[in-house]
Amino acid sequence: MSENSIEKEIISIASDVSGFDPEEITLETNFYKDLEVDSIKAIEITVAIEKTFKISVRDEDVPNITTVSQAVELVTKLLKQKDADV
Amino acid sequence: MYKSDNQIYDAVIIGAGLSGLVCGCYLAKAGMKVLIAEQHYKPGGYCTSFSRQGFTFSAAAHFVGGLKNGNLGKIFNELGIDKIVEIKKYDPSNIVITPKYRVSFGNDLEKTIRDFQEKFTDESDNIRSFFYYLMSSDPKSTTTMRSWTFKDVLDKYFTNNELKSILGFPLLGNAALPPSLTSAFIGTKIFKEFILDGGYYPVGGMHKLPEAFAQRFCEYGGELRLSCPVRKITVRNNNATGIRLSDGTNILAKYTISNCDARQTFLKLLGKKLISEDFMDALNAMIPSLSGFVLYLGTDERLNKLPETGINIWVMSNDGLDLDDVYLSVKKGDYRDIDGYLLYVSPDKRVILAFLPAPFKNKSYWVRNKLKLAESLMRRIEKDIIPDLTKHIKFMDAATPQTLFRYTLNYKGAAFGWASFPSQLAITDFRKPSFVKGLYMTGHWTTKGFGIPGVIYVGEDTAKMILRRENA
Repeated sequence: MSENSIEKEIISIASDVSGFDPEEITLETNFYKDLEVDSIKAIEITVAIEKTFKISVRDEDVPNITTVSQAVELVTKLLKQKDADV
Repeated sequence: MYKSDNQIYDAVIIGAGLSGLVCGCYLAKAGMKVLIAEQHYKPGGYCTSFSRQGFTFSAAAHFVGGLKNGNLGKIFNELGIDKIVEIKKYDPSNIVITPKYRVSFGNDLEKTIRDFQEKFTDESDNIRSFFYYLMSSDPKSTTTMRSWTFKDVLDKYFTNNELKSILGFPLLGNAALPPSLTSAFIGTKIFKEFILDGGYYPVGGMHKLPEAFAQRFCEYGGELRLSCPVRKITVRNNNATGIRLSDGTNILAKYTISNCDARQTFLKLLGKKLISEDFMDALNAMIPSLSGFVLYLGTDERLNKLPETGINIWVMSNDGLDLDDVYLSVKKGDYRDIDGYLLYVSPDKRVILAFLPAPFKNKSYWVRNKLKLAESLMRRIEKDIIPDLTKHIKFMDAATPQTLFRYTLNYKGAAFGWASFPSQLAITDFRKPSFVKGLYMTGHWTTKGFGIPGVIYVGEDTAKMILRRENA
């Protein structure tokens, strides 16, 4: 999966959870500040990312995800690891 | 082309539970043309009251939480609900009574901490850390704990089993689950919003709350139709186009919002044909919360020796009660030992309510067991807390899971929507199904919260999501 399509998926998840239009969401978008993501929505985004990409996000990775680009980076890394494990 | 007798709205909401009402208020306030269709003859869902022989009983929900620290205060203020309904505060909001202990939860956090520290000196520092953790609400740390149970939290802070059991018991009443099955996020919310910021009561009865929201909704230009069952959510090219009422009337709307039971929304109103195979599997695997048994007692004026009024009193039969065992017995409908219950005495001291979690059994089970359970619960209250209670009863009735189902159509009379397991938390398809555009869910079947604080949050959030889409 290319970084571009990962980005599209993550933007679509962020849009579904927050209600903000996908057009308004970019790589620089901050989930908490720009999309008003609160505790339950942060969980919802994480759960949706895990389900969409069939990966599991480790607890210690969560504090490092604040922006869309950080989420894309993490998913890319986890997908690579998953491929290497197979 | 649409037929000319179709009625056209911007948004239509199925169900006038609190979540539907709050959502409707915000949408109507923003200038949208909104209809709420409710099958019952009064609004409120589980948040309502009824009167018998001069007594007014809260039907199910019997207090409000989250007015100071939760969203409720903000929503009251924004919608001017505080101008319509008077809210009285009872402090402490909750007391747990066991054979050895009596501890109180109040609005004053330090006082609550001190009360627990005095009773459990061996856990003094941990008690402070635990209560401070409950009050902190950082989205990142909560996300880190998304697969934790509330038992994991209790085990992290405490070793004393009696204390853990006391802190876990209110979850059996507020989520119908033991701590070992309750998501840490939900358990924390219950403490923060229902217990430490609980004890609020609308003067005049719980029905005053939905009535106030309904009044505002209509003042904002919304239309509320009661006794108005919905037959279908209409869909064209995977877009929800509105609803069809039982009398055949078609209501067209850009946004369709369901504040009713999830299985009914998907299987009956939407129809299996529109649901993806994956989602159907997910839906069938979901487990609802348990239902409840509510005992309603009306008493004469001569009853004295009553406990504190207007607050939740949690009575536990043993110290260090194994809450997993209690849950398993209740799930089977085994009430030979009532290990604990929630008791509430109204401020005017005339009405007593008692609550037990209860399984959804068939009608004949509850016909056989309703009176038996009501009487044994009453005798237990008499033995534990209110001497001579049975001599002063002027009215007695009870709601079984069948009753709760009949009035609200919640699947299996579920008291709190889907069970709050960590695995059933925050699933987007239960909020905004991906397979039908323009359809939103609100209320306690969304996997995002329950109880009055939870559904009110979801109601406001649903409106926000729709308004963002509108303004994009």
